[in-house]
Amino acid sequence: MSSIEIQTAIQAARAGRKAEARALLIQIVEIDPQNEMAWMWLSGLVESLEDRIIACENVLTINPANQKVRAYLEELQRQQKSWLENKNRVDAIDLFTRAKEHADRNDSATAIRLAKQALEKYENYEAACLMIGKLSSDTDQKIEAFKKAYQINPSNKETASALEKLRHLKTNPLSAAARLEQLGQFEEALKAYHELASKAKNSKEFDHIYKQILRIEGLKRENIRYVAPSSSIARLTFTWPLLYLSLALVQVGLNPFAHPVFYLWLGLPIVIVGSFLLSLAEVRSNHIVWQKLFDERGDGSQFARLVTAAAGWFFILIPHILLVLDSLGRLQNFVIPPMPF
Amino acid sequence: MLPLNDTEQNRYSFFPIMTVILIVVNCFVFYIEMFVIKDDYWPFFMKYAITPRVIMSAQGAGALSNVTAMFLHGGLFHLLGNMLALWVFGRRVEDACGPWRFLAFYLLAGTWAHVLFILVQSDSRIPGIGASGAIFGLMGAYLLLYPGGRIRTLVFVSFVPLWPRIRAIWIVLYFVGIQIIPAIQILLKKTDYSVNHWAHLGGFFSAVFILLFIRPEAFARYLSDTSV
Repeated sequence: MSSIEIQTAIQAARAGRKAEARALLIQIVEIDPQNEMAWMWLSGLVESLEDRIIACENVLTINPANQKVRAYLEELQRQQKSWLENKNRVDAIDLFTRAKEHADRNDSATAIRLAKQALEKYENYEAACLMIGKLSSDTDQKIEAFKKAYQINPSNKETASALEKLRHLKTNPLSAAARLEQLGQFEEALKAYHELASKAKNSKEFDHIYKQILRIEGLKRENIRYVAPSSSIARLTFTWPLLYLSLALVQVGLNPFAHPVFYLWLGLPIVIVGSFLLSLAEVRSNHIVWQKLFDERGDGSQFARLVTAAAGWFFILIPHILLVLDSLGRLQNFVIPPMPF
Repeated sequence: MLPLNDTEQNRYSFFPIMTVILIVVNCFVFYIEMFVIKDDYWPFFMKYAITPRVIMSAQGAGALSNVTAMFLHGGLFHLLGNMLALWVFGRRVEDACGPWRFLAFYLLAGTWAHVLFILVQSDSRIPGIGASGAIFGLMGAYLLLYPGGRIRTLVFVSFVPLWPRIRAIWIVLYFVGIQIIPAIQILLKKTDYSVNHWAHLGGFFSAVFILLFIRPEAFARYLSDTSV
């Protein structure tokens, strides 16, 4: 019976009456599920990709030696994978667009959740990794996200730089907390200090961290305005040059044109450089000096700061010492006037 | 009216090391004046005090004498008065600046005190000495940074000594106020005073530069209209 029905189904299929053939074949496999020929024809007649795969799998269960169907199944599976990937990619883009909208509204938590879902749909989504890395307050999560983004696109220098910075901060947690404060992120800085306090090795370290916590809480309570490190550096750079300029003016009798001493004025740019270095060593900032001179991604290690401060003092002191030597030289030729009274 | 102590606490540092060093150096220099220089003070003062005529002709020690003059004093009471004021007003200004920038500001205030003195009395051959110009700078800076500060002050009411906590603004205004009439007299009548009133005013006005010298956190506090 079944061979006649199969022939009828095959004829119907060949004649282009697919629905009729399909119905017949379904009846056959319902009665005889081990019918290899019926499953084979069915795999070409069912409409959905999933049903075709199921039919092929059934053929191979009955006859694992059927190489033709095995090849066809592999092709179908490839198609299915590609279709799934495309679908997931579209879903991921949709999720990421929503994440971006939340990020623009400063709703970081939802943005991160949606970006993570986008990553689940499409694991090579670089933009989603970068978003998590930028928005997350958890250092480990940030590192993980940037690491993945870097694996996806190793040519992105910004990702490499951010990753290196984060690794530096992970190994210098106190510096990381201070850096958060420097960026005006008092809440995150407090969180970091609280975490450090809970891991303090001794009472001295705890006291130090606790003082920072009290200080930042004070800043928050008093609503202290955030001043960018670059503006602090610029402001403090004026201090020593202002003093040097005043001293040099006195040295030339308040009239640089009547008593020109050229080299005194050469000292001014040197003092400016020195004062700048000194300010840089004091104020925490991600200045290019740390990267260029000390090959450091962070805001300057203890060593880098010490060296910078020492160079600053050197540049400040040299012109001042020359000024004093000039004064002493003049003093040797000075004829003391008589008392006016 | 004698300011005795600033009653407020430090915020950033425990000990005003530079203020103490300046007091010690001033006292040491006074000891040298008294026991080493003794009566031979004229050549010493001409070399190391600030004499407008000498400075204007670009002779003598110039910038060096500008600094050394800030550490010379004419008598014990001159020294004690200045050192007391340095302690009262310097401690918290140093706290806001940090020791090295405090020193730079102190020297800057003293220099601008001398600059105004030289400009107004450019013909004077009388040497100017004392830390008061720099200390007036500190008073001005104190007023800018701590307008609500209170100073324990010794006052005599009908010979009865009292030591109330007076707002710094009244003390500073009193000390600046008593400079103005003599300063005008010097300008108009070319009167000579033993007190260098124009240097005091020069030092006081140099206080506007204090905002360049204070710590980043103190500056942020200043901008936020809260106590520095």
